[in-house]
Amino acid sequence: MERTKGYPAALDKKLQDTKLYVDDSNPEFSKSVKAISRTNSHMCYQCGTCTGSCPSAPRSSYRIRKFMRRAVLGLENEALTDPDLWLCTTCYSCSDRCPRDILPTDVIMAMRNLAFKRDIVPVNFLKTVTAIYASGHGVPNNDVNRAAREKIGLSRDPPTTHTYAEYMPGIRKILDHYKLKANADRIIKEREG
Amino acid sequence: MSEPGAKHKFAFYLGCIAPNRYPGVESASIKAMKKLGVELVPLKGASCCPAPGAFGSIDMNVFYAMAARNLVLAEEMKMDIALVCNGCYKSIWEVNHKLKHNKDLRDAVNEVLKEVDMEYKGTINVYHTAELLYNDKFIGVDKVRDSVTNPLTGARIAVHYGCHLVKPHKDREFEKEVMLNTEHPMWMEELVSALGATPVEYRNKMQCCGAGGGVRGYDIVHALDITNEKLINLQEEKVDALTDICPFCQLQFDRGQIEIQEKFGATYNLPVLHFAELLGLAQGMSPQDLGLDLHGISCESFLRKVL
Repeated sequence: MERTKGYPAALDKKLQDTKLYVDDSNPEFSKSVKAISRTNSHMCYQCGTCTGSCPSAPRSSYRIRKFMRRAVLGLENEALTDPDLWLCTTCYSCSDRCPRDILPTDVIMAMRNLAFKRDIVPVNFLKTVTAIYASGHGVPNNDVNRAAREKIGLSRDPPTTHTYAEYMPGIRKILDHYKLKANADRIIKEREG
Repeated sequence: MSEPGAKHKFAFYLGCIAPNRYPGVESASIKAMKKLGVELVPLKGASCCPAPGAFGSIDMNVFYAMAARNLVLAEEMKMDIALVCNGCYKSIWEVNHKLKHNKDLRDAVNEVLKEVDMEYKGTINVYHTAELLYNDKFIGVDKVRDSVTNPLTGARIAVHYGCHLVKPHKDREFEKEVMLNTEHPMWMEELVSALGATPVEYRNKMQCCGAGGGVRGYDIVHALDITNEKLINLQEEKVDALTDICPFCQLQFDRGQIEIQEKFGATYNLPVLHFAELLGLAQGMSPQDLGLDLHGISCESFLRKVL
């Protein structure tokens, strides 16, 4: 029978893919994002100033406005499984300009925190953790630099944890409190064997 | 009055990239600031700030606790912190600010710090050295100008402000109000002028270097493409050097140019110097004293102009 109501079949089929289903929405996700980011993500009215300010937008499919919508609608899976989540350089241009005084950058950071809880995280982030667990520095000293430091009248190692290794147990205790090293090691092993 | 060499004292928080990749930034900061009446005292046992992109992305609670540990080290010295890196400023200043104003966060952090016999009290402030140089309460542009013995006359120098010192401006609390202008700031250009050089503006100067937020590690081509756009805009203005106030941005522009050459085939050979290195040169330090040979892109073309 020919359809008399609603959109033509082809358009209806197209829209099926973009309709919001209640099952996809998790209100707890919106609340968690707000709690971790400490910014009023639900106030977003989708003006797009954020995407217009974003240096990652012109060179990728990353759209910060889309993530703001996902935060408001509680679209947890859609947000956390999108690889574009990791293309934010945290330049805070969007946060600087947001007319609703939201910090979209911190919304992204909160979503990344929630993704990490589900083991969704690129390994380079974890390698910074293991570097700090080993030496206290994300970018540790090396021999070329030690020689250069000496040449310009500095100590071979800076007066940080590099010189005072007695501070390292305290740092490891803090990281272990959150089981960060254990989780990082486990995920890196799963990915890289 | 006490001796002029020690009007102000700060715990010098080094971070990672300055001491471990561009040590000239460390030595120039200590020497140049001393000439300007600011003593930088080593902050013993400091660690990574921790990297706001990496740690903030994984677990904000760890980010707060690790930054708080560095803050407590300075609290124990009863000194405010001075630092040379925008990324470190984001971690150290912002966590200090958040912990001072949010009791729930402070309590949670102290719960963890108790395990290592530390307590965050919120008794100190955090400053970027660029801010100390610009704010006449500490130093000011005039004093910087007076300290110059080798003016960088004739050099066209562009400024990369970077992101995390000034953005988001609505959360920042600089005493100098012009530092809150993030759309078109000129305060760094004033400092460049004070060294005798010609500050040059360029298209989209407030754009990010591309490295932050873990993007350099996650997708290097994406990060470099952002850097490349800035380099194209800089090339249009025929600048002799780019100055920054963030060693991570410096790494991205300096070593990044080598990676851009490999991946995109574009060559710029633009010398990139931290403002502390420029200040050191203008105060008479030699390129050798500053370890400029460690830079990925040779500073020779720039040095020939100013020495």
